[in-house]
Formats: sequence, structure tokens, C-alpha cells
Amino acid sequence: MRKYCAWLGLLTVGAAVLLAGCWDRRELNDLAIAVGMGLDRQGGQTQVTVQIVNPGEVASKKDGGGYSPPVTTLKVAESTTIEALRKLTVVAPRKVYMSHLRILVIGEGLARQGILKVMDGISRNHELRSDFYIVVAKGTTAGQVMKILTPIDKIPANKMFSTLEMSDKLWAATVSMQLDKFISDLSNPTKDTVLTGIVITGNGKSGQSKKNMSRISPYVNLAYSGVALFKEDKLVDWLNEEEAKGYNYIMGNVNNSAGHIACPGGGTAALDITRSESKVKGKVARGQPSIHIDLFVEQNIGEVRCEVDLMKEANIQALEEIAEEKLTQMMKAAIRKAKKNKADIFGFGEKIEDADPKSWRKLKKDWDDYFSRLDVSIQVNAKFRRMGTTSNSLLDREE
Amino acid sequence: MGALTKFIRNLFDKSGSSQQPEDGREPERLDPDVSRNFSKIRQAFGNSKDVVTALIRDGDLDSGNVGIVFLEGLADPSVVHEMIKEPLIRTVKAFRQEADHDRQDKLAFIQNNVPAVEDSEPAADLEAVYHAILSGETVILADGCPYGLIASSSGGKERGVEEPTTQSVVRGPREGFTESIHTNISLLRRRIRTPQLWLETMTIGKFTQTGIGVMYINGIVNEKVVEEVRQRLQRIEIDGILESGYIEELIQDETFTLFPTLYNSERPDVIAAGLLEGRVAILVDGTPFALLAPALFVQFYQSAEDYYQRAEFATLIRMLRYGCFFISLLAPSLYIAITTFHQELLPSALLFSLASQREGIPFPAFVEAFIMEVTFEILREAGVRLPKTVGQAVSIVGALVIGQAAVEAGLVSPAMVIVVAITAISNFVIPAFNMGISIRILRFVLMIFGATFGLFGVIVGVIGVVQHLCSLRSFGVPYMTPMGPFIVEDQKDVILRFPQWALFARPRLMSKNNRIRERNAPTTRPERKSNGGA
Repeated sequence: MRKYCAWLGLLTVGAAVLLAGCWDRRELNDLAIAVGMGLDRQGGQTQVTVQIVNPGEVASKKDGGGYSPPVTTLKVAESTTIEALRKLTVVAPRKVYMSHLRILVIGEGLARQGILKVMDGISRNHELRSDFYIVVAKGTTAGQVMKILTPIDKIPANKMFSTLEMSDKLWAATVSMQLDKFISDLSNPTKDTVLTGIVITGNGKSGQSKKNMSRISPYVNLAYSGVALFKEDKLVDWLNEEEAKGYNYIMGNVNNSAGHIACPGGGTAALDITRSESKVKGKVARGQPSIHIDLFVEQNIGEVRCEVDLMKEANIQALEEIAEEKLTQMMKAAIRKAKKNKADIFGFGEKIEDADPKSWRKLKKDWDDYFSRLDVSIQVNAKFRRMGTTSNSLLDREE
Repeated sequence: MGALTKFIRNLFDKSGSSQQPEDGREPERLDPDVSRNFSKIRQAFGNSKDVVTALIRDGDLDSGNVGIVFLEGLADPSVVHEMIKEPLIRTVKAFRQEADHDRQDKLAFIQNNVPAVEDSEPAADLEAVYHAILSGETVILADGCPYGLIASSSGGKERGVEEPTTQSVVRGPREGFTESIHTNISLLRRRIRTPQLWLETMTIGKFTQTGIGVMYINGIVNEKVVEEVRQRLQRIEIDGILESGYIEELIQDETFTLFPTLYNSERPDVIAAGLLEGRVAILVDGTPFALLAPALFVQFYQSAEDYYQRAEFATLIRMLRYGCFFISLLAPSLYIAITTFHQELLPSALLFSLASQREGIPFPAFVEAFIMEVTFEILREAGVRLPKTVGQAVSIVGALVIGQAAVEAGLVSPAMVIVVAITAISNFVIPAFNMGISIRILRFVLMIFGATFGLFGVIVGVIGVVQHLCSLRSFGVPYMTPMGPFIVEDQKDVILRFPQWALFARPRLMSKNNRIRERNAPTTRPERKSNGGA
């Protein structure tokens, strides 16, 4: 009897392996790897544009390739995002594989109408990893952005990804927003969110062919510009560069940046910001909420275009004060723009809640109003650390 | 597994039950007549020409003949001639001059006068004579004596001590065991010069009568293990033992396992080290490969050289070996699982590269891997069996077929070639060949798991392997010692190899009663001065 049981066991295991296995197996060459996705509004439908990699053209190989562009786009419109993604199979030669998505572009038109419904489908999809960036196509459709071929990085979606990452790290006038954070911002009723804008520079039509890549100075390129301000799920305004930087300083997102200040005796000096730290504290006094921002910045002198003796400590202190004032103005500008739109993109509400949960319950309902009248005090402490590889400006030589 | 064993036993027992009946007849006594004994012996050997029977005539027929019998080739001719024949002639002459030679026992006289047979055991029956001459001895028979004298004369050609071809080392002794068990025992005795090194001998094999030596160091070894080895060896009933592999399969703990539970080596230093750790060595006549029991999993990842090179280096190399174990076991299955089920685990750039390589490959990744692995196994096997002179042809074919042609023909992707190549090379890093084979077989099983269930399947497979390993025992010692059961003190010599001064204890489960192998381990630091003066 035991013998038969053993055989039966073996048979079961064998059957399980042979019959149940392989059901979601897919070979690498059966996949259409989507790297970019664009979402637009077309009539009452959602238009999905996916950028698919042509692996043969992308991977470095000595022979072969060079005949077709490294990516191709597929476009489909349906009433829901998921339907559209599925319907892609009617045009796609293979199964569209979304896990390696690098960038999600939302057309401005769709963004202005509200993206909540679209994002639901995106956030539910298990195939998507949450490490791609979300941007808004400024003044154009996402479909157009998906169609631009870029030099150096053969995959435009990759270029968009790494450009955003680099500019976020070194310039700090863009916001690298990933899906999980974006969704959590969207689902928070008192917090609003921002997305970086992407623009097509040059004539859009000529960006679609490989000629664009073969030019030393491409006809068309993709660039980040401005930050879209969302009120709830709708795009309502754009932050300019200064405001975007101000926003990043408040959020503590700045690692590296550069800026300029006016010298006391005329002319300008450029600053190389190397570290910043911000502390946002909320307070409720007599029913009135207020916010205090404490910013600490470490910076180097990057460029001096004025006559100032950097060997004197008093001058350095003066420059520090000017820098502090400049940073305060940048942050104030960002806050002004947010207040104007009654959009709490900084999450000040959360800070108030942290500080005084009881009062917050009362304030919560009319937070938009409170926010637009919010008293924000800013304290900046900017410190110079180094002056680069030289001491005084070259301008001093004239003496 | 038990059911499976029984099933297979039953399957073959039907045919095997009609074994030759045990011959319960009395062993045939020797005849008092030499010539009749000679003809009986020649008849028993089917008149084989290498049975040499010679009469030592003393001219006096009345007093009867004296004869010797030996096997040509097994007996050393010069020994037979100088040590036996010549003294015999002299002795026989002397015997005739004895006054009362008629009443005296001829063989007793010979025994007293020929040094070669002074303390020999008399052979009472023909069986004993056969056994003696088959061992290369010379048997002296005499008329009127119903027994024979056995004179030691074994000799004949045997291979000298050479450098072992397996388990070669950069630094370490160059001696290897030979086919002669006597040489092998002496090689061990020369390394461990203590009367505590005990040797038990027995013969196994109905026809081959192979000499088996069980060696251990009394006082270190666990007596229960010796007893177990003894019993298992005595249980063997087989027609012949031609290599220690026979013994290994007949006495191993688990019948169905891919993993070797006895260690083998043709290096005397390795066997000596095993003896010093409290293991039992089983030497088999006719093969340079000696066995060590109990054998542990980790033992197969240790090389003799680990102990001859500096500890840091040995540790590094051991880590490399365990790394190679995992590569060798898992690389193809992980590659299959990740590229066909979990593409999201790959970095994007790597995915594009792999995807472009797979463009136009007609087979699924599993088939691709399978083809390459099988091709490699074919080449490996061909390389092992081929005469050395044509060996180069295999490597050329291998490099071309496996390396380039398969890729250029678009049958496999270059990445797969790399995976298969690293897998194959990693396999050879494992010092024990038989452990390498186990891993090779498991690799194919895991590939199937990986191809059907992805990483989930691979993990299930690995858990199964670990479970099986943990269930194994080698002569009562858990196979995964000292990992499971985890023994902290023994970790000094598993993945790490502590310096010799720190390895002061023997493995715990191996030598329970005598664990200390080194006292007052010297340090290089100068002795601290006592601060009594100030």
C-alpha cells in the first residue's frame, strides 16, 4: 500500500509540474518592452501612447541594426486606461510589457481636466513598478512627446528619466515625482501636488525621424521647464524656475543647485549650493494656524562678477545675508503662487496636524481658505564654505 | 524512499532468488601424495599454464618427493628461486642424511631448516592452498604429509608511487596511493608513526577475494563508527570488488541519494588527516582510491591544500568554492526563471541587452539552456574518455560548437553561452569530483523547476535539496554537520579556515572522547614581562 502511495505522490508532483507550470511564462523575445507611456484626452476617451523598445537597435552590437529607429510608438484610444492598454495588442506585435516603464507623460489637456480617474488604472496595474517618473507635457500632448527621438540616449524615455534625475540632483528646479508619492499626494484631501513639465523644443515634426538623432544639434529636443501645480487632481498653474526652486528648498529636496545674488557694490556673484536642510514646523495660536520654515544652506562661491574682497570676513557675511534674502524671496514666491491657487503643495496641513491634531480637525474643513491666508515665517541660514580654487576675483587684477 | 527501495528490490529479487547454492561440502583434504595433489591443483585451475608445479627431487624415490606450487607472475621468481627452491634442495639432501628420516615428518624438518617457512601456517586443505597461491605465496608439499607449508613469495609487477592525478595541489606532498594495499598501508604508516594506528583486514568478494583494510587511530576514533564500518563490510556478499566504489555503494547510509556519503581520495595526506580527525579509512586492494567515513558535506569543499597554504588565502578560496557551488547549482535555473518569468527583476539596460540577444532565437530559454548544458556534458564526457592524443580535437570542437558557431547560427544567445560556461567552470572548482556530479544532476532538476514555476520553483527545489541534505547521515553523523546541527566551535574549519594555532580541537561529532589536538598553541607575540619589579 505504501508503495502505491509513494507512486501516487510522485505522479501528483509530476502532474503538478507539467500541467500547472509555465502558465505565465514569456520569453524575452515575446515582449514589447514599454519604456514610456503618454496619456491624453481624446474626445471622451483616454488615449494611450506607449513607447516600445526595439532591442536590436538599442543594445550595442557591432553588426546589424541601424535601419529602424530604436523605439516605436503605438497609440490607442479607449474609454478606460486598462482597456486601452489591452487594446494595444491590436497594433503591438508582441505583448506590451509595462514593468520597465521609465516615464509617464500626462498631456496638459488631460491634466487640466483631472487625472484621478486615469491614475486609478495606473496605480492598480500590478505589472507597473513604481519607480518611473511622472511628468506633464507642457503646451502639447503626451503623444507628441512620446514621438521625439533624442540623441546620446537612444531611448527617449530613458533620456527623459535620466535628464529629470540629473536636473533634480544638480539644478533643483524640477521635481522627480514617482508613482507611489504621487498617488499618496492625490489621495490626501488637504494636500496638493506638483509635476514637472516637459516641453518640445524646436519643430516637433522633424523630431520623429532618425535624422533628428544624426544631427550634431538636433532639430528637436525634449526639455524640462516649469513645474505644474495641481489643485486636487487638476492642473491649475505653472511654477516658474524661481518658484520651483523655492518649492524644492521648502521641501528639502535640494542637494545641489546654483544661483546668483547681487553684490553689494553692483554686479553679481554665483553661488554653488552643496547642501540644504529645511525644517517646517506648524503651530496653531488662537485658532489661527501658522508655519515656520527654517532653512539651512551650505554653499560655495562659484563665480564672482563684481569687485568684492573675499578675504574680508565682513564681506562674506554681507554676501551671506544677501543670499539668505534671495532664498527667502524664492520661497515666498513659491508660497505666493500656491496661496493664489489655494493649493497646499507643501503639505503644510500635515505639519499643522502634527503640531496640533485637535485644532486641525476644525481647520481641516476650510483648509483651503486657511492656507490662502496662512502666516508663513521664514528663517534662512546660509553659510559659505569654500571659495573654489582661487581667492579674489580676476576683476581685482586691474588695480 | 523506503517504499521505492523495496520496490526495486522486489523487482530484481525474482531473478536474483535463484542464486548458486552455497556449497556446504567439506573442504577437500590434501592427499599425502604430492603428484596427486599437483594434478588436483592443475585440474582446479583448468590446466592454466601459469600454475607452476615443481618437484624437488633428492634422487631417493623411497623417501618420497617434495614439491612446490606457485602462480607465475604473482610470485616473485627470484624469491622463489633463492629463498625457497635452493634452501629446499639443501634441506632435502640434509634430510636424507638424517638417520631416522623414515619416521620423521618431512615438512616439520623443512620448517625447521628453511627460514622462509619457519613460522608459516600449515595449509590443511586444498582451499587453503588455492588461496595461498592466488595471493602469490608458494606452497611446499611433501609425500607422506597431508598438509602444505606456505612460504611468502608474493611479488610481481606493480605500479610505483606516483603523483596523484586527481586532487592535485600546488603545495603539498606529491605521493599518491597505488593499486597495492600494502604500499598504501605503508604510506599511511609512514605518516602516522604510532602503534595507535590500528589496521583490521578482511577479504571481500567471493571470486576476487579482495583485501580490505580498515584503519583508524585508536583513542581518537569513535568505536561505534568502527563497529558500524566493520558490520557493514561483513554484510557484503558479492562476487567481486574491483574498486572502492563498490564498497562505497554497498555500505553507504542512504540508498537513494545524489550526494556521496563516503569521501574518497588517492592522497595519503588527505586520508592521514582524516584519520587524525577520528575518521575511519577503508583501503581496498587494487585501487588507489581509499575511502573515509564518516564523510560530511563540507568535507567535499575542502582541499588538502587549504591546510598547506596560509589561512587567509585558504579562507578566501573556500568562500570562492561555496560561491561556485551556488553558481554551478543555480546559474542556469536562475537565468531561465528570471528571463522567462521575472523580467521586472532585471535592470532595464540589462533587459534590453538580453532581449536583443534573444531576437531570432527559435527556442524557449529552457530549451536553449538545456541544449547548451547537454552539449557541454557531451564534450566533457568525450574529453574524459578520449585518448590523450585526440583530446585536443574535443577542445577545438568544444570551443567552436559551444562558443561561436551556436551563437552565429542563431541557435543560442551569447548570454546563455556565458551562463553555461561559468556554470561549467564553477563545477570544476569543487575539489571533489563526485560532489561535482551530484550538483550537475541537480542543476538539470532545478532548471526544470525554474522553467515551470520561475523563481518560486527554484526556491522550492532548493528547499527540497536542503531538506534532503539535512536528512542524510554518514555512519550516524548528520551529513550537514556542523551547519545543521550547528556547532559553533567547528565553524573554525568550514567556510573559514582558522590559522593552525586556533584549530586546537577536532570536529566534535567525529571524535567525541579525544578532542584536543594541540596544546599551548604558540603565539608570535613576545612573552609579557611580569610587572613585579616596579
